[in-house]
Amino acid sequence: MEIPGLYPTWYEPLLGSGWVLGIIAVIHVLASHTSVGAALVSTWLATVAVRQNRPELLDYVRRYGVFLLVFSYVLGSITGPGIWFSATVASPRGLSALIHSYVWWWATEWVFFLIEVIGIYLLVYLAGRVDSRSYLQVAWIFGVASWATMLIIVGILSFMLWPGQESWFTEGGSLAGFFGPYTVAQILTRTCFMVMAAALAGNLIASGIEEPRFRREMTRTLARVGMTAAILGSLFFQWGLATLPESAQLLLKTRLPGYFVPTLWAILAGIVAYFAALLAQPDWLKPSLAAAMMVALLIFGIWPEERARESMRKPFVAGQFVYANQIIARDVPALGVRSELQLLAEQGILKSHPFIPDPLRRVNPGNQLEAGQALALVYCSNCHGLGETGPRPMTRMLAGNRNADEIERLIKGALVTGNMINMPRIPLTDEEARALALFLAGLPLWQAVGP
Amino acid sequence: MELETLYALRSPVGLPSHPIVFLVLLVLTWALHILAVYVMLGSTALALCGSVLAGGHWRRLSAAMLETAKVAVSIAIVLGVAPLLFVQVIYDPFWYVSNVLSARWAIGFIGLLLAAYWLLYYRYFRNGRETASHLTLATVLGLFLLCGFIMHGLSSEMLRPELWMRWYAPGGHIDPSGSALHDYNPWRFLYFVGLMVPVTGAWLVGYRGYLERCGERDTAYLDWVTALGKRCMSAGGLFSLLIYVSWMSTLPASAGGFAASAGSLIAVVATLALAAGPLVCRAGSGYYRPMLAAGVAILLIAASREALRLKILGGGFGYDILTYPVHFDTYSTLLFFITFAVLGGSTVAFSIALSWEAGKAQGIYTASPRIARLGNASLVALAVWLAQYFLFGFLTMIG
Repeated sequence: MEIPGLYPTWYEPLLGSGWVLGIIAVIHVLASHTSVGAALVSTWLATVAVRQNRPELLDYVRRYGVFLLVFSYVLGSITGPGIWFSATVASPRGLSALIHSYVWWWATEWVFFLIEVIGIYLLVYLAGRVDSRSYLQVAWIFGVASWATMLIIVGILSFMLWPGQESWFTEGGSLAGFFGPYTVAQILTRTCFMVMAAALAGNLIASGIEEPRFRREMTRTLARVGMTAAILGSLFFQWGLATLPESAQLLLKTRLPGYFVPTLWAILAGIVAYFAALLAQPDWLKPSLAAAMMVALLIFGIWPEERARESMRKPFVAGQFVYANQIIARDVPALGVRSELQLLAEQGILKSHPFIPDPLRRVNPGNQLEAGQALALVYCSNCHGLGETGPRPMTRMLAGNRNADEIERLIKGALVTGNMINMPRIPLTDEEARALALFLAGLPLWQAVGP
Repeated sequence: MELETLYALRSPVGLPSHPIVFLVLLVLTWALHILAVYVMLGSTALALCGSVLAGGHWRRLSAAMLETAKVAVSIAIVLGVAPLLFVQVIYDPFWYVSNVLSARWAIGFIGLLLAAYWLLYYRYFRNGRETASHLTLATVLGLFLLCGFIMHGLSSEMLRPELWMRWYAPGGHIDPSGSALHDYNPWRFLYFVGLMVPVTGAWLVGYRGYLERCGERDTAYLDWVTALGKRCMSAGGLFSLLIYVSWMSTLPASAGGFAASAGSLIAVVATLALAAGPLVCRAGSGYYRPMLAAGVAILLIAASREALRLKILGGGFGYDILTYPVHFDTYSTLLFFITFAVLGGSTVAFSIALSWEAGKAQGIYTASPRIARLGNASLVALAVWLAQYFLFGFLTMIG
C-alpha cells in the first residue's frame, strides 16, 4: 500500500494551531519590519550626522540602536525561528515544502542576518569611537544587509502564495518560483511600511530627547519620513493587490470579514494623521502616545494584513500544491511531486495515514466518533477550531446544524468533490464521511468528553 | 515505525544539492552555534558567581561577563538559525515528528528564551542598582538551561521512531496536545552542557590576552583570570570526559557498538584536548590558542555527535540520508556559497577587524588602509549582490 507522507497532528484546543502560528508571526512582522526600516533610517541619519558633523544626531542614532537591540532584535531574532518552530508543529509539510525549495535562499538570508546583527552592535558601540569614513561603512553595510534580508523573504513569501512563474510547475528552478508579477510591488510596499514602522519607533526615542529644539527637529523629520512612507506604501499596496492572481482577489473579496479592509485603511489613515499632527505640533509627542501608535499598528494593521495574506492563498498553504491540511493536492512534474488526492480517495486516509492508531484504521459502530475526531484532526484542525474557540470554529461553520445525515450530505456534496473555492478537496470514503459527520454533529459535547 | 514510512515522510520536493553538502554545513554551523552557546552559558554563570561572591576580582569579572553574555546570546541565536535550517532539510521526517509530539515545548522554547534574553538586559541596565541581582542571573541561567533541555529532548525524540506511535496515541487513542517531552538522557544533556566549563575557561584566557593588549596594568587580576580559566579547562574537560563515559554506557540498542567506534574515539580525544588546553597557552598572542584549540575540539565533537545520529538512524533503522532525491538548483546553490564566502567573509572580517582595533585604541580609532579597503570591498560586494538580484529577477520575469 502506498503511504502518504503525513505527519502527526498537533492541536491546541483554545487557540487552534493556526492562531498560535499567527500570533508569533504578527509579533515577528512588527519587530522585523521595524528593524529593517530602522536600519535604513539609521543609515541615512548616521550619514547626515557624520557629513554635517552633528554629535547630537550621532548620539540619537546610538540610542535608537540600543532601543532596536533590546526591542526589535531580541524580539525579531527569537520570533523568527519561532515562526519556524510554530510552523513546524502546525504545518510541517507546508514548511517543509518552503524549506526544501528555498533552503539556499534562506541560508543566504542567514548570512545577511548575521551581518545585520553584527552591524547593529557596531553602529551602537563604535559611535564616536572610529573615524567618520569607517563609521559610514559600518552604517551602510548594516542598512543594505538589513534590506537584503527583506528582499529574500519577499520572494519566499510570494512563492508561498503562488509560484512566480507557471513554468515552475513543469520546469522547476528556484528563480521561477521566486520572482513573479507581485514581487516588485511587494518589495516597494514592504519597504515603505518598514520605514513607516521605523519612524513610529524613532519617535518613541525622540520623545526622550531633553533638548527641546533637537527633539522638535527629530520629531518633525521622522514625521515627514513616516508620512511619506505611509502614503507611498498605501499606493504600492493598492498596486500589489492588482497584481494578485484572480483567485486570490476573489477570496479577498468573498472570504474576509467585512471589517478587515476598512480597519487596514483606518489604521493607515490614523498613522498619516498622527504624523501630520506631529509635523504641525511636535510638542504633542509623548512616549505613551508613540508607544500606543506602535501597539495600534500591531493590532489593527499587521494582524488583519497577516490574516488577509493567509486567507488569500486558501485552500493551499504553500506553492499552490500543499493544502493547508498538509495533503499534496497538485502534481509538480518538475520535481516528481504527485498529488495524493487520488490515493486517499481510493485507500481512505484512516487506512493509509502513517500516524493513525490501528484500532481506528477501520470504522465500526464502536469507534465511529473517535474515528471522526481523528479525521477532523487531520483534515480540518489546521484551519478550524474543533469546538467553540480558535479560528473559524466548527460549531459555527455548520450554522448550528446537528443533524448527522445533513452534515454528511454537505460533506459529500461540497468537500469530497472539491466544490468550494476556499476549501480543500477532502477525498473521504463513504465510511469516513459518515464518521466525520457523526463527530461534527456531536460537537461540542463529544469533543469535551472524548479521549 | 517502518523504514518505508520514514522515507515517505521526506519532502517530495527533494533537495537542491547533494545531502552530504547539507550534512557538512549542519556540523559546521552547529559547532559555531554551540561554541557561542557555551560562551553565553559560561559568562552568565561567571556573572552569577561574581554577583554572589562579590569580592574584588569577582566583582570586576562579573561585570565583564555580563557584557559578554549580552552579546553572546545574540550571536548564539543568530548562529543557531543555520543548523535549525539544515537539520530540517536532511532530517525532516525525524525533526518534524519530534517537534509535533512535543509541540508545547517547542513553542514554549520561544517564550522561555525571550524571557531569559530580556531578563539579561534588565539585569544589565540595572547593574549596580539591584539588590537581588544574583536571583535575576540565576533565573536567566535556569531559563537558558531549560531551553537547552528542550532542544536536547527534541533531538532525543527524533532518534526513537520505534516509540513515536506509543507517544502520539497511547493505548490507541490519539493525544494531539504535544504536552509531553517524551525522551531525554541526563548524561547526554550533562555532557553537552558541561562542555561550557572548559570552553569558558579557554574564553577567559583569551580575555586575559585581550586585556593585556589593551594595556591593562592590573597584573594581579590578569593572573587571577588566567588561573581561573586554566582550572576551568582542566577540571571541566576531565569532568566532561567522565560524563561522556557514563553517557556512552546508556546508549540505546539502536546505537549498537558506537561507544567503541572511531566516531566515539574522536569525541574522547577532543574532550581530552579541552582538558589539555592550558598546555597550549603561551604569553602574548598565545593566550588565544586555547580558544582556537577549543573551537577545533568542539568541531570534532559536533562531527562525532552527527556520526552517532547517522549510526542510530542508519544502523538501527536502515535510514540512509544519502538516498534523498536531489533536484539540483544551480542558481541558489551558487548564490549561497558566493554570498557566504565573498560577501559574508569580507563584511565579517571587516567588522571584526574594525571593532578589535577600535577596542584596543585610546580615543578615536582611524582605520588602517587595509581595514578601509576591506570595508570598501564589502560595500562593493553588497552592491554587486543587489545588482544580480534585480538582474536575475528581471530576466526571470521577462523570460
